[in-house]
Amino acid sequence: MTETMQLGKAGPQGFFGRLRTVVARRTEGRGVALLAVILVTVAFVEPLVLTAYPVSLGRIALIGIVALGLTAVILMGELDLSVASTLALSGVIMASIPDLRLGVLAALATGLVVGAINAFFVAVIGINSFIATLGMLFALRGLAFVISDEAPVSLANKDAGIAFGLPLIGPLTPRVLIFILVFIAIQVFVSRVKAGREFFAVGGNRQAAYDAGIPVKRRILTGFLISGFVSSLAGVINTLERTTADPTAGSTVLLASFAAAIIGGNYLKGGRGSIVGTLIGATSLGILQVALTLSGVQVPVQEIFIGAILLIAVTTDPASIRAVVGGIRQATRGRAKTETA
Amino acid sequence: MAKETLTETIAVAEAASIEPQAKQTTSGRLFMWVADNGIFVFTALLVLFAVIFVDGFASLVNITDVFHRAAPIGIVAVGMTFVVISGNYLDLSVVAQVATSAVIFIAVSNVYGIPLAMLAALVAAVLYGLANGIAVGFFKANAVIVTLSTTYIGLGLLRYFSGGSIFFGPQDGPIREFGLGKLGPVPYSAVVLLIMTILLSILLTRTNFGFLVRSFGVNEKATRLSGTNTGLVIIGAFIVTAIAAMIAGFVLAAFSNTAVSAMSDGYDFRALAAIIVGGTSVFGGKGSVFRTLLGVIFVSVLTNVLVLSQISFGYQQVALGALIVLAVSVDAVARKVSKR
Amino acid sequence: MRNTRIALGAASMFAIAGFTLAGCAAAEPAATDAATEEATTTEEAAGGETYEVYALLPQGNDQPYGTTYLPPMEAKAAELGINLTITNSEYDADKQASECEVAVAAQPDGIILWPAVADAIRPCLEAANAAGIPVWITNADVNPEDTDLTYGYSGTDSYGQGAASAEMMCELADGAEIGVIQVNGLTGNSVATLRGNGFKETVAANCPNVSILAEQPGNWNKDDSQVAASEMLTAVGEENVQGIYAADDTMVAGAIDAAKARGMDVDALFITSIGNTFLGNPLVASGELDGTVFQSSSWDGENAVVGIYRAMTGDTAQGRDDDGSVLYMPNPKVTIDNWDSPDVAPEW
Repeated sequence: MTETMQLGKAGPQGFFGRLRTVVARRTEGRGVALLAVILVTVAFVEPLVLTAYPVSLGRIALIGIVALGLTAVILMGELDLSVASTLALSGVIMASIPDLRLGVLAALATGLVVGAINAFFVAVIGINSFIATLGMLFALRGLAFVISDEAPVSLANKDAGIAFGLPLIGPLTPRVLIFILVFIAIQVFVSRVKAGREFFAVGGNRQAAYDAGIPVKRRILTGFLISGFVSSLAGVINTLERTTADPTAGSTVLLASFAAAIIGGNYLKGGRGSIVGTLIGATSLGILQVALTLSGVQVPVQEIFIGAILLIAVTTDPASIRAVVGGIRQATRGRAKTETA
Repeated sequence: MAKETLTETIAVAEAASIEPQAKQTTSGRLFMWVADNGIFVFTALLVLFAVIFVDGFASLVNITDVFHRAAPIGIVAVGMTFVVISGNYLDLSVVAQVATSAVIFIAVSNVYGIPLAMLAALVAAVLYGLANGIAVGFFKANAVIVTLSTTYIGLGLLRYFSGGSIFFGPQDGPIREFGLGKLGPVPYSAVVLLIMTILLSILLTRTNFGFLVRSFGVNEKATRLSGTNTGLVIIGAFIVTAIAAMIAGFVLAAFSNTAVSAMSDGYDFRALAAIIVGGTSVFGGKGSVFRTLLGVIFVSVLTNVLVLSQISFGYQQVALGALIVLAVSVDAVARKVSKR
Repeated sequence: MRNTRIALGAASMFAIAGFTLAGCAAAEPAATDAATEEATTTEEAAGGETYEVYALLPQGNDQPYGTTYLPPMEAKAAELGINLTITNSEYDADKQASECEVAVAAQPDGIILWPAVADAIRPCLEAANAAGIPVWITNADVNPEDTDLTYGYSGTDSYGQGAASAEMMCELADGAEIGVIQVNGLTGNSVATLRGNGFKETVAANCPNVSILAEQPGNWNKDDSQVAASEMLTAVGEENVQGIYAADDTMVAGAIDAAKARGMDVDALFITSIGNTFLGNPLVASGELDGTVFQSSSWDGENAVVGIYRAMTGDTAQGRDDDGSVLYMPNPKVTIDNWDSPDVAPEW
């Protein structure tokens, strides 16, 4: 081992020491802890969630696909609120075209176009992504209503749709398989491809990224293209499985995807987080929802439960606990200070 | 003593992240003026367009309708400005708060009278504000998720206890009178909106609390380092939003003389759109309550014009989204051009 | 090191919180079951059997109709010895499809299904069929080509309700050339679309002398409806409007308030809607609302349970060929002549 000069205390030595450092630096800790608790609880209370795992996987994939695409944008410190409307619009466009393959292509192209428009407003015009994608959320939903004439649009080829909903490999349906593929693709991109790794830099310190020569605008474009494409992919999957496109679709997916990403440890301001974290967050939420449905508890009580779990999950990570302890210490110290001042 | 050093700290922090100033040429200054005040120009142009080209816009009845559109969302938006300016993105739980307030107001006043109803609603509002504020201010948790979870909990509780039923106010009585009453073409609900704008503006710009909310948004670290108890500041911001949402619930309930849990749907994003169109930055620090009022007027007039023009709902949403993005784009482009 | 300790500390706090919640969760079904005793007390009913039934609904305690649909449903279920598990997909077709998958996986004795979007429900029906679970449709029927997959239907005919309201409008117009404004429900919602089309098409077919001058959504809300109606009146000109139609009583109350606020003579206007609710019935009595269509949430909830019971006990087979496998809720028109009849007493 080459000698390196160390400033400050020497870091932990040995395999376990270095393992501990790596684990501590990862952001998924809270997500893993939550998932562990949920899995253990569910195993005792509602084991059907685990034995009927294709159903649970399907629910996880419902939020998960969109959440994964969204994470690409969040890592760069941007937001994409338009995902819900992109999903609905892509579905409507696909169902409006009689030829199935052409329809799928058109839908996916829609997602890319939406992503490009979002990136244009954020990177070229320079407006904040929150408001740009909020405007797109309204506008695209409106467009979906206009094209569909405010009513569901049926697929011409319903049989293809129903076939799509049947298990393909083992008990896994195409939706779940696509979800796994999307996860692998985005994870590889963000961790092994140079352009993807730069997403973290763009999110962590935008100015420093510019100075380091990273083509920030191009990265932003890539991120929004990923998010738009994945949303339209989700729209295609939903439309095939339902055999019809609903212009009102997607509203529940929007906030659930954000929740999944943030529970998984992604920082809204960008620069920190991971795709794996989002996967863990989506899994937690999906299993929780399925378990609650099976439990037969009244629906309002289910909502209260989910809200409480989310709240506890997000206020009990190490950073929050440190903050509370620090705040209490500061309050007591502050009082002593004013007495002497 | 604390305030002066805080100001210095903020100034130093701001200097570190300073943007290049606008060029001091006439054109540079003009573009900067457009960037800063674009929303005033836009709103004025929109109103002018409507008065000239849209039949019936300038009638007394229609002005009243515009105010009716603006009031409940506007009251929520001016309150929520505090949360946005403090750098905490938004408060999604306003949806639950407005519905809870409206239902408590009508349901309780039917049995126990108005003062007790308002007190009960106030308790609920303070609880919301505390829950959100403590989680975001002391636990430093992410505001989007915290307010999402309080929305679930709040709506769940509301539906559990009220059963999602629709409640009716009495046909006569002070609630109905308030809902129907007007000062000229201005309904009482809009008067409440104006009063609240003035009061909240004073709160934001002339009190220590407001100053701290703004400085928290500009530079979180510096505000914390200065020794003030920032947790309390955030709790304050969320309580202001909750009380504004409570008042919006009263006003909404009075207008329709009914209350049901689904009545506040969409209030979160619509209020946020108004705030941001008005020029308040989503990152916090910059903005004002008057700007939010302007944003609310812009969005309300726009929707009113679209309906008067008999445009279908789908196209309305397209126009709304496009114009929101356009208004903010003009601001951004003007800013860029002014610096070249 | 400290980071790890903190992470471990947090994880164990989590575990404690989780197990406490697990305890609550396990206790909650029991507690809520005890609290809402109508819901799940399993009694010895005919034959002494208890049945497990999943009810897949698109609304519940979040809307006034759903709120009054549930208690009669739960009471009937308790009476017949049925254990109900209720879901609410809030009119999201994807959510309902996922809930359907969960229901099929739970292997209940029967499924009560209220489709959020009828066009999207076939995959759910096929899955239930493949698993051998009988399905009874409630409130909103499936498409004609999918009825063979179900055991029966009990509920309203939303298109028919719109048509009934249109027939009343035609009668009121009595051949005169009049202008009408139309207030619709939430955009894209299946009930809103069906009622809207029912009204429009019936007017066009039966009384083309009635012209629909403007159409806007009122979102099932009284306040949205009041503003929308007032703006429509401004847009087309008050003097051109002689009639108002709204897709439900809550919205028509808002439209009536709008007319009153403008000083229009409400009694002279022809106003019709749907529901005969607590809000609408008094308006019929006072003469402001000229006609509405009664909809009974208790009939709806009860018959859903009766239907699935008959399907589970073999009293009716798949395919809707038997008697009583399709039950339409009566759509009585309510006018000033019969508003106080006990047959049409408001329920929601």
